[in-house]
Amino acid sequence: MSGVTITGVGLVTPLGRKPDDFFEGLLAGRTGVAAPPPGHAAHGWLAAAGLAPAIDPMEVLPPKEVRGVDRFVLMALAAADDALADAGLVVGRDADPYRTAVAVSTGGAGLESFEQQSHRRLERGRAGVSPYLLPGMLANMGSARIAIKHGIRGYSSAIATACAAGAQGIVEAIRLISAGDADVVVCGGSESPLHPTIASAFSNARALAEGWADPAEASRPFDARRNGFVLGEGSAVLVLERTEHADARGAAGYADLIGWGATTDAHHPTAPRADGEGAAACMRGALTRAGLTPRDIGYVNAHGTGTKLGDAAETRALHTVFGAADGPAVSSVKGATGHLLGASGAVEAVATALSVARGVLPPTVNLDTPGPGCELDHVHGAPRQAAVQAALSNSFAFGGHNISLLFAPTSAATARFATATTVN
Amino acid sequence: MHDEIRAFVVNAVRDMNYDVSEVTGDTDLGPAGLDLESLALAELAVLVEDEFGVTFGTDDMESTALMTLDQFVAEVVRQVDGAAAHAASAAGGPAESPAADPA
Repeated sequence: MSGVTITGVGLVTPLGRKPDDFFEGLLAGRTGVAAPPPGHAAHGWLAAAGLAPAIDPMEVLPPKEVRGVDRFVLMALAAADDALADAGLVVGRDADPYRTAVAVSTGGAGLESFEQQSHRRLERGRAGVSPYLLPGMLANMGSARIAIKHGIRGYSSAIATACAAGAQGIVEAIRLISAGDADVVVCGGSESPLHPTIASAFSNARALAEGWADPAEASRPFDARRNGFVLGEGSAVLVLERTEHADARGAAGYADLIGWGATTDAHHPTAPRADGEGAAACMRGALTRAGLTPRDIGYVNAHGTGTKLGDAAETRALHTVFGAADGPAVSSVKGATGHLLGASGAVEAVATALSVARGVLPPTVNLDTPGPGCELDHVHGAPRQAAVQAALSNSFAFGGHNISLLFAPTSAATARFATATTVN
Repeated sequence: MHDEIRAFVVNAVRDMNYDVSEVTGDTDLGPAGLDLESLALAELAVLVEDEFGVTFGTDDMESTALMTLDQFVAEVVRQVDGAAAHAASAAGGPAESPAADPA
């Protein structure tokens, strides 16, 4: 099996766009969660949200192509541009276009664009609806627009498995490279859910954190006072590359992806299994695929959304796999970013890769006192130095889709950070 | 009416980020002139339909790509006049509303 190395990352997140800013923000315990300001579509509808930087359509598309393009597509394009630049990779120059693939996923695609056009139809009839709606909002348009812009001509896909979508785009990439079907895969996720209808749906489902006077305190994974998750928006795109391909062109690796697990709860449309069995089987699957044992795992970047049921179920799953004591260090970035739904798995893959590459683990923001049923070796209050030899990142979705990604220090000839190659 | 429609069309094309600084009545809408691509032509048709209460068929759109600006404007004027004549001959009945939602 070919090794799979991360050679580029691009981000649009509530902690900014530069990977260094994002990771330094995580380490410093900063939060990108705030109240949507006046003028924002979600102002008055969400008390707290993970707000990502604006993307000027003209930055990512030619002027004649910007019309009707949804924010989820703009963020996917911005993240992909940054990831390819970060990898120093130009498709056609550094990689065979037909052996380059794209798999950038989304949970809800361009729902805000659809809602706007629905309003126009109700007011004005058929003639109110723009023909630009479909190429602006369909779930495949992140991948499609990235392919058009960068001349990617191999395999392409977009997987709409809700909050597992971003992580599953990365699984798709690992599979393609491992099977020899691609040298390079541009993969990840993008999500733009901060508008009134989606906010109302999550709120009415009693999924969102409520009652926090300071929005910065609302997202608190595993904390005793947690009462729901905070919606966030953003995108993360990774360039995954066959390790030999990266070495041949002298590209440095952040980390390697050495395994993945995927299971389905087959239980309920939104609730996780209380015993966490689907999640546990998912993590075990990733370990088995890589030939590792639970003792090899030094860090788990948890799904950890801040809901009462979800965090407790994930804790049970971690206890099932690693035992109730002596398990790996655990943290969730969602205290800092909110829950980016279909982008979250990709954003957290970047966080996990940087943790492994730099040998330091980010703390869970707002985790003051672990709640009952959330007893884990939490990283909280401050970052923790740790030379991690293997790390998991979990993503669990509405629908019962479970994904675990397994990371290790890069095996590429050149590493991005010296730390990864100097640990024993 | 001709000037109003022409100004509307030029504004619509400008809003789609096409360069209209050197557009004249003889400029082609298609590849030889403004080079409106298929979705832009479709958007232009929808905007004109919505504003002036006319209707373009699929065949009309294919020929639109071969028209100059003034030829397109003349076609819209012809349809607007035809619709007005139709409305006059149907005097006494309720006004037709081509933009009504069929649902």
